[in-house]
Amino acid sequence: MEILNSLSVFNSFPLAELEVGQHFYWEIGNYSIHGQVFLTSWFVIGLLVLASLAAIINVQKVPRGMQNMMEYALEFIRDLAKSQLGEKEYRPWVPFIGTLFLFIFVSNWSGALLPWKIISLPEGELAAPTNDINTTVALALLTSIAYFYAGFKKKGLGYFAKYIEPTPVLLPIAILEDFTKPLSLSFRLFGNILADELVVAVLVLLVPLFVPLPVMALGLFTSAIQALVFATLAGAYIHEALEGHGDEEHEE
Amino acid sequence: MFDFDLTLPLMALQFLLLVALLNAIFYKPLTKVLEDRDDYILKNEKEARERLAKAEELATKYEQQLAEARKQSVEVIAKAQAEAKKIADAEIAGAQQEAIAQREKATEEIASQKQAAMQALEQQVDALSRQIWEKLVGPGLIRY
Repeated sequence: MEILNSLSVFNSFPLAELEVGQHFYWEIGNYSIHGQVFLTSWFVIGLLVLASLAAIINVQKVPRGMQNMMEYALEFIRDLAKSQLGEKEYRPWVPFIGTLFLFIFVSNWSGALLPWKIISLPEGELAAPTNDINTTVALALLTSIAYFYAGFKKKGLGYFAKYIEPTPVLLPIAILEDFTKPLSLSFRLFGNILADELVVAVLVLLVPLFVPLPVMALGLFTSAIQALVFATLAGAYIHEALEGHGDEEHEE
Repeated sequence: MFDFDLTLPLMALQFLLLVALLNAIFYKPLTKVLEDRDDYILKNEKEARERLAKAEELATKYEQQLAEARKQSVEVIAKAQAEAKKIADAEIAGAQQEAIAQREKATEEIASQKQAAMQALEQQVDALSRQIWEKLVGPGLIRY
């Protein structure tokens, strides 16, 4: 980060700064937490809750305004879950997969659209909650727990059969998969969002006007795609746990 | 950049709470709305279908009735025409008979008058021939 800091020497205007790896720490007992992540995540959660409340406060047969928008969102999420989990299994998983999508999507776009950096903190800076590795790892681990839960609930201990299902030779790879799944999920999201914000910040640092706009637009696109990818993969993993590796359960 | 701390579990917990909260205020109510609407549409569609079927049934029934009524009316007309023809025929026949009867009567009358005339003529012939004979042979000679 020394390079970036030395770059900012050239920029005498305080238009943009880069702060990576600096956090606004809150102390709870002996532990510390990243305050800026929670502040923006509360904002995101508040936005989602407000939108939901606005949608259901006056439910009508013919949807209008907010209800229409949230119904569109819900149908999108239901279709996403249905396409991954299948007609029979998708219903109980809609809230989890849908909230993954909504939370990541709103977080990413709030990071890309809102000028968080106007609000200055004593240390660190406000950004999308998905900009922090803790958030993405938390979501990825929850996904892992979710698919283990799905597998155990459906098959009990028979779930372990999937590790040696086609052939026990693949056992190490099957076990490895359980580690690579959350790893790839969390790092993909974290990397994409952080990289996008860094690229935009660096471009703003170099050329404050107009030039960063195409990259910002691209960032909006990537953000949406990353939310979709995360939710889709979570659905796919849960589906895999429900189905098992073998082809013997494909009669449905 | 990779400093993991209490943020991770707290964020996970917070996310789970968000899932529960959104399940209560977003997924459940709106899913119910969507399903209710689907039910409503299905029900209305079914009702409309039933009504359409009923209407079609009624239409065919009415058409049948109409066809029957047409048939009946044709029959009535035919019957009336036949009856009228019968009456007309009967009347024509009566009139013809009457005409024949009158002609016969007239013929008879003519015949009787003719006969009467002939008789009168015969008497006259006798008288005339007697007169002629008297004139020819003289009145004193005549004997009966």
